[in-house]
Amino acid sequence: MNNHRRHLLNVENVVKDFGGLTAVNHVSLRVVEGEIRGLIGPNASGKTTLINLITGIYKVTGGGIYFSENRIDGLQPNVIASMGIMRTFQISRVFRDMTVLENMMVPALSQGQTMLEAKTRAEELLEFALLSTLKGEPAKSLSGGQNMLLQIVRGFMNKYLRLYIMDEPFAGVHQSIKGIILKAIKTMNREKGITFMIISHEMTTISNLCNQISVLHKGEIISQGTMEEVANDPLVIDAYLGG
Amino acid sequence: MQIFNLKFSGLLLLLLVAIFLPFLMTDYWRYVFSIAYYYTIMAASWNLLGGYTGQFSLGHHTFALIGAYTSTLMILKAGIPLWMGILSGTILTIIVSFVLGFLCLRVRGIYLALITWAFAEVVRVYIRMDYVFTGGDRGLFAPLFFGTTKPLPYYYLFLGVSVFAIILIAAIMRSRIGYYFRAIRNDEVAARAMGVNTVRWKVFAFMVASGLAGLAGAFYGHSIGLISPVLGEFNEMAMIIIFVVIGGMRTQAGPVLGAISIRYLMDLLREWSEIRIIILSAIVIIIMRFFNGGLMELFKRAKQWVQQKGIKEPVPAYPQIDQK
Amino acid sequence: MDLHLFSQFLVAGIIMGILYCLMSLGINFIYGIMKVINWSMGEFFMIGAYVQYLLIIYFIGSRYWYIGVVISAFCVFFLGALVQRILIKPMFVGIIEEKMEYATIVTISMAIFLRNLAVLIGGPYIYTPPDYASPTHIGPLPLSGNRFVALIGALILLALFYYFMKRTWIGKAFQAVAQNRSGVQTAGINVLKFDAIAFGIGTALAAAGGALLAPIFLVHPMCGLIPTIRGFEIIVIAGLGSIPGVLVASLSLGIAESLGSAFINPSFLDIYGFVLLILVLLIKPFGLFGKEERMA
Repeated sequence: MNNHRRHLLNVENVVKDFGGLTAVNHVSLRVVEGEIRGLIGPNASGKTTLINLITGIYKVTGGGIYFSENRIDGLQPNVIASMGIMRTFQISRVFRDMTVLENMMVPALSQGQTMLEAKTRAEELLEFALLSTLKGEPAKSLSGGQNMLLQIVRGFMNKYLRLYIMDEPFAGVHQSIKGIILKAIKTMNREKGITFMIISHEMTTISNLCNQISVLHKGEIISQGTMEEVANDPLVIDAYLGG
Repeated sequence: MQIFNLKFSGLLLLLLVAIFLPFLMTDYWRYVFSIAYYYTIMAASWNLLGGYTGQFSLGHHTFALIGAYTSTLMILKAGIPLWMGILSGTILTIIVSFVLGFLCLRVRGIYLALITWAFAEVVRVYIRMDYVFTGGDRGLFAPLFFGTTKPLPYYYLFLGVSVFAIILIAAIMRSRIGYYFRAIRNDEVAARAMGVNTVRWKVFAFMVASGLAGLAGAFYGHSIGLISPVLGEFNEMAMIIIFVVIGGMRTQAGPVLGAISIRYLMDLLREWSEIRIIILSAIVIIIMRFFNGGLMELFKRAKQWVQQKGIKEPVPAYPQIDQK
Repeated sequence: MDLHLFSQFLVAGIIMGILYCLMSLGINFIYGIMKVINWSMGEFFMIGAYVQYLLIIYFIGSRYWYIGVVISAFCVFFLGALVQRILIKPMFVGIIEEKMEYATIVTISMAIFLRNLAVLIGGPYIYTPPDYASPTHIGPLPLSGNRFVALIGALILLALFYYFMKRTWIGKAFQAVAQNRSGVQTAGINVLKFDAIAFGIGTALAAAGGALLAPIFLVHPMCGLIPTIRGFEIIVIAGLGSIPGVLVASLSLGIAESLGSAFINPSFLDIYGFVLLILVLLIKPFGLFGKEERMA
């Protein structure tokens, strides 16, 4: 374990109740800075709810969430974003009537970057993502996979990005685009030290990408470790195969 | 900055036309166009809020009403000078819109429509009820801005204010604030995730739009000389929506085009007051159903069609030589 | 305070409240199914009044006025379903992107269209249908005959509506659609067809109200204004989509207006409803029975 590196994200005993349903049940999770963490689990295990809690869309019913020693649960989503946490959505949420380039500029502008700075940075990232030719097109004319890619590189526009949470970034995405996404994650992690938390069902991709994997089932963390450890954990096997 | 391009010179030309037009007009038409410019301000400001930022307010006309009444009442009861009346009218609308916006912009869109509708009705009914203070249904005589009822100076007054409003709105939309507005409209949740303080900017849009309406309303009162709760009737709001939709929502020129051309048309058809409204409302429904962008979109498509026609019949560079 | 007088006005308020309920039920019913606010509901009320007037004058005579109510409601049912088909359905089959904006603008335009059409066809005149019944009284409270039969008619219609929603299969299907629009489709329900029927029912209710209340509010192009204003006050107080809320809000509004007029000042009639509205919103910003809206 890398004890000398700080815990960037500390989810401490978090509970989320929706009326009668407990979507997240005493979940504790620690992500070390520089990690690429995988978050897996059967459907309706509470993964997206957890992300929504971390990014401020929902308020926790119990427990606390800490980012770099600062308490972030209860803060507004835009404040959390400005602190350096970005996220993508399972169903790509791009600004459909704005061009690809304009989409990219939003997170940069909201941080206070100048128009020129934002535009330059956007064009660089679009180049990296092989989306440059589409930069003047409205986002709604993009394919599903391109939309997901746009969503992802848009998050990199945040100059102070430290933690990037991605909800099913590979779902239904063409192989070539998947390759670009993987390259982006690995490059940003290696060169800029950005921490990632990836939710995905694609086990092979996750095991290639992630150092540590947390498994969520029915709102609880049932296992954590390397892919091998987790794959052989009887609790995990039971969760996926059982009812 | 691209100052000397075609679009800018085109706009300048239009402005020059507008400046010299009154000399070709009778007093009646000068008056008609003054009112058209008033509605341009209302349409453009509503478009900023409802079109660009996606906040569908049904109480926009009420802010014009508040501006007019505040200005006139302050002048009549507190004896302040006219310019101060207009200023106070504008300031009060900004304050009221801040409070109202803060209260109802934090929830889903449909509630904004209902709350602003209710707000509009409450204000209108109040003015009618408290007739001792506000003059009620009989209205209030407002001091005239130029001390005369001749329409010529008012033409330039409203032209000036609408140019100011249009430039202000264009400047906002070109800036980063314009990005925030459009992001909020497209996907508010995503906008927040991208760091945009959506509540703050929605309230800001509401304040700017309402402030412009209040300013326009105050000037309106001091131009017509008589204000009454009729200004606050839902009909006024519907007119604004009609102008914006027919002209083209979410464009800079749309509200201007819509307001001026429809007002002009309405005046030409003033004999048939029901038929013209029937036609207009039917057109709005057809536009919403079939091509959302109104007149501006029509022009855009026409332009594209012309350009495509050009490509379809290319002239060959050199004559074909038969190969034998 | 004279208890006798108080109870008289209370009863009058309750009666008015029930009439308001009939006017406003359709709005929340349609909203529950389609999440669309129909801003032209008042105009369907007006159509009902006009149709009823024409039926009485030209066809059935004033003795069988109640048949007119049924026919009016029936005609408007089909009109409403047709309107829904042409104008509202596109929202749900992927043609329209900005749904709320579209629905609001289209229904507002419809309201204006219908209002002006009425002036064009019938002229800006106020038509007075003949009285449905002669003046009567409930206990010591004198009551106009029209109001009395309107009350009975409203109660019958509301009872029918309740029976329909709670006891029939279609009614339960409607409840299901209102609760989970995507879920019911997996149960084999053709939501689009239900949308049209719901719109038809909602507008038919308004039209029945118009027909019943024609002798009271009279028949003219603007007679839909009061139902619109009261109707929307009521749904804001009740909370969007809530049917029981409409009953509670309508009664509250009717009572507030009656007591206010009686004990404070009758010329401030319009204000009482809005005062009630503001008070309710201060305590419960989403209406009495409204659901808190979650973002994302």
